[in-house]
Amino acid sequence: MPATLSPSEAPPVTSTGGGDFVTLPPVQGGDWHNPGGDRVVQRYKLGVWIGMGGILMFFAALTSAMIVRQGLSGDWVPVAVPPVLYVSTLVLLVSSFTVERARREAVAGNMEGLRRWMNLSAGVGLAFLAGQLMGWQELAERGLYVASNPANSFYYLLTAGHALHLLGGIAVMGYVWVRIRASRPWPTRLAVVEATALYWHFLDVLWIYILGLLVFWR
Amino acid sequence: MTEVQPSKEVAEYTEVHRHPEPKSFLWKYIFSVDHKVIGIQYLLLAVVAVFVGMALSLLVRLRLVCPECSYPLLGQFFPVGAPEGVMTPEFYLAMLTMHGTVMVFMVLTTAPQGGFGNYFLPIQIGAADMAFPRLNMLSFWTTFVSFLLLMAAFVVEGGAPMSGWTGYPPLSALPEATLPGIGQDLWLASIAVFCIASLLGALNFIVTTLDLRAKGLTMMRMPLTCWTWFVTAILGLLAFGVLLAAGVLLLMDRNVGTSFFVPAGLVVSDKVIDHSGGSPILWQHLFWFFGHPEVYIAILPGMGVTSHVLSTFARKTVFGYRAMVYAIAAIGGLGFVVWGHHMFVSGMSPYSAFVFSVLTMCIGVPSAIKTFNWIGTMWGGKIRFTSPMLYSIGFVSLFVSGGLSGIFLGQPTVDLYFHDTYFVVAHFHLIMGVAAIFGMFAGLTFWFPKMFGKMMNEPLSKIHFWITFVGVYAIFGPMHYLGMLPHPRRYAEITSVDYLGATGAAELHMFITVAAVLTVLAQFIFLYNFVKSIFAGKECREENPWEATTLEWTIPSPPPHDNFAGKVPHVYRGAYDFALRGAKRDFAMQCNDDKAVYGEPAPQASGD
Repeated sequence: MPATLSPSEAPPVTSTGGGDFVTLPPVQGGDWHNPGGDRVVQRYKLGVWIGMGGILMFFAALTSAMIVRQGLSGDWVPVAVPPVLYVSTLVLLVSSFTVERARREAVAGNMEGLRRWMNLSAGVGLAFLAGQLMGWQELAERGLYVASNPANSFYYLLTAGHALHLLGGIAVMGYVWVRIRASRPWPTRLAVVEATALYWHFLDVLWIYILGLLVFWR
Repeated sequence: MTEVQPSKEVAEYTEVHRHPEPKSFLWKYIFSVDHKVIGIQYLLLAVVAVFVGMALSLLVRLRLVCPECSYPLLGQFFPVGAPEGVMTPEFYLAMLTMHGTVMVFMVLTTAPQGGFGNYFLPIQIGAADMAFPRLNMLSFWTTFVSFLLLMAAFVVEGGAPMSGWTGYPPLSALPEATLPGIGQDLWLASIAVFCIASLLGALNFIVTTLDLRAKGLTMMRMPLTCWTWFVTAILGLLAFGVLLAAGVLLLMDRNVGTSFFVPAGLVVSDKVIDHSGGSPILWQHLFWFFGHPEVYIAILPGMGVTSHVLSTFARKTVFGYRAMVYAIAAIGGLGFVVWGHHMFVSGMSPYSAFVFSVLTMCIGVPSAIKTFNWIGTMWGGKIRFTSPMLYSIGFVSLFVSGGLSGIFLGQPTVDLYFHDTYFVVAHFHLIMGVAAIFGMFAGLTFWFPKMFGKMMNEPLSKIHFWITFVGVYAIFGPMHYLGMLPHPRRYAEITSVDYLGATGAAELHMFITVAAVLTVLAQFIFLYNFVKSIFAGKECREENPWEATTLEWTIPSPPPHDNFAGKVPHVYRGAYDFALRGAKRDFAMQCNDDKAVYGEPAPQASGD
């Protein structure tokens, strides 16, 4: 073998040397994914678990900024959490149960049940968001806007950040609803539902954390 | 070739992954979900960005050596920034800012990970695609939107922002302090969108690595390229969320009137600013908590490619594979606890500075392990000096040169002197900029035959290597000396400073500028070689032109739509089995069992 390899002295054709390959049947056209199975469910859920890491870092950064900003100067005026937040927290907890029910319907293969409970969950999620909206309104009525005080800024930021993530979850529920209505073969259905449920529970826990921060770390 | 009926598990494993090959141009090349097309899209984006970034750096260099020179064409494009073709100091800062931003985000972050990682991670682990192909497409197009937002900053009123790629407030937070306009807002929006794109990409890379490896491909049998893409993805996942949060806060400070980063009682242009109680240092903490891991996001994939290429062309296994893996993980982990060394001059407590300094020095250990092992890999090997090999050796050289000055800067007392000088410019360009770029050159020349089924022109690549290698040292070597003078960085005008004249700084600047122009011109050799080779390069239909060992070399060039053409590779050994005693060839591919490597009867099994 020469020390250098110029294109004119292209190396000899080398085969893979008798490796072990498994031949699969030809790809079926049509739907996006071919029939899945537990493997896909696990993969989607792993995706959500990893995604949680990124989302947590986002909120960790906001938390650390909040704590640092609080200690920086004397302009921090704690904001009393609007009572409606406790109601919406209960609503969100309920939605975790409905999502879980939807997931179990999906596992059982009951499309009708899945659709019903998923819709209900999306509805309850929207109710939670309505509660958040009322919370913002109440603050605004007290004259507390985003820039009125750093404490308010963080209140709006944390709640809005969570709300945006929840909207994402509701969007996926809408996607599930559309896919079920289209009634085409959809092998990743269970995976999407399982992932949505996991994500939803995560947002639930995340909200409890944010509420705790707003109530106890004012 | 053994024909085996797939077990149910194996069938499921790949079947879910495959999607039919799209036929229309739009779905095949634009909104493709194929990781190979997306990888090339990322690479093309980076190529466009790198030429934009280089053009900006040339403007910076030209302004430095001749502040009063007029460039009429420039005046036509930027009537405000360069009236009658003469660059204003604000314009200089804007070009500096955009050069850094374009290079760090759109080149160093996209090409090594989004480009090569996308293309080769699935193939090297024996998968048909990424774990979430549509998410992958979304990541690219989100990145593209981010690029457009950034470019839009050039054309809006007031022009591009001038607060540096680090976007330090209060300059970045106060529209009153700069030319009026939304350039900085576009910049922040671009960064925020880029964060989202990178988070989605990171998620995809991690799941792909964990979940889609072929049978027999344990983590400790993965090519080091896959390890670096994997660790880089973890860094991205944990770092970009923080930058996103910081970016949102800064956008609010600019537009909503909050006071996260702007202190009270600040007077700008004889007017008191209507903000209270924030701190620019808070931004620095958040930014550098992202910023330091970002440095490793840029350089780690280059390390992986270097290890891979050095082993292949030295015809030796990677020296200390496990140590290399642990070093990659250690560099990634330590990267999260050293951000304070960017802030020694921010007035931080000497005790904090000491902690950050000691942790920074700790990174020298895994870095030295890697360098030692690269040399150990080459030592006594039958080296083939191909162009990818040259670029990889260049990488090692630049990594050492840039890393050594890092040891100086990691010490608070020394950094106080050096921090605002060209010494830092020299340091980070060598290690983060140019070394990473050499990793990309190595990757591109190494994988080119696989990606396009053609060879690049070797003599042209080698000419390009030597000009660039000498060129970058000519550019950044003298900057160390400038830093020791000490010559301040970021200043638009240095020609009228007396003490710099006496030390020969002006002449050095001229030398650097000439070297920069020549080096930039040399990049057109590479561009020409790259484009010409795609369309009219020498055909290379062999599966394995470099006699390499990993799975991408077992499939046709260019790879078919689903990579392994309906087959599932089975992996029997580690990624770098070269020069095996008693073997039929001087290398064993990962999918070769002992029978294929040694013939019958199989001697002792080889280690991983």
